[in-house]
Amino acid sequence: MLVLTRRAGESVMIGDNVTITVLEARGDVIRLGIQAPRDVQVHREEVYRELQAANREAASPTEDAVQAVTKMLRSAEESD
Amino acid sequence: MTTRTASRPIEDTMIDPSLGLPTITMAVPMPGFPAHREFVLVRLNDDGLLYAFTSVEDPELRFLVAPPEPFFPEYAPEIDESVFAALNTKDPDRLLLMVVITAGVNETTANLLAPIVLDRDSMRAQQVVLSGSGLPVRAIMNRTY
Repeated sequence: MLVLTRRAGESVMIGDNVTITVLEARGDVIRLGIQAPRDVQVHREEVYRELQAANREAASPTEDAVQAVTKMLRSAEESD
Repeated sequence: MTTRTASRPIEDTMIDPSLGLPTITMAVPMPGFPAHREFVLVRLNDDGLLYAFTSVEDPELRFLVAPPEPFFPEYAPEIDESVFAALNTKDPDRLLLMVVITAGVNETTANLLAPIVLDRDSMRAQQVVLSGSGLPVRAIMNRTY
């Protein structure tokens, strides 16, 4: 891992288009400002990992699970 | 819902997901599935309550998705303007919101934190993370009407 030391107000560049600026450092909390092109997604890592895991879990449900959802929708309709 | 879809039995969708359905291009791939850029929306339920968002490249990859309104009437997330740009959106009224469902035999949940937003004119879509919304990734689904 590349390790760089930066002060508040200083930046690092990743490639030509992504700039990360340290806005403020207070104790163990660092505030970062990120400038990136629109097609570069920026996420907090734990949110992105959770979403990845949720998508993998949701992907390609079994026929039984699909039937269960369909039945849930149907019984909701019947109880209307 | 005006999205053009065909209704067909569920078992057929495993083999033939989409003949004739319009292709949806992901502006950004779904997290966890970087190689899948093109999908079709296959209707699974006559009322338009359940769809299979099915990969064109690999029809075995599909996500169950649903319009959120019947299940989460209070759910009205604000979509950032950067999403309009990514989807080439000219008219925000043409955006369609779908939540990704995790189907379990005992419990079914919907991902409210990251809905799929589809522009019905450009047919571009993106799973949008509603950062800072505090919305859950796994909200238990019940139909409220």
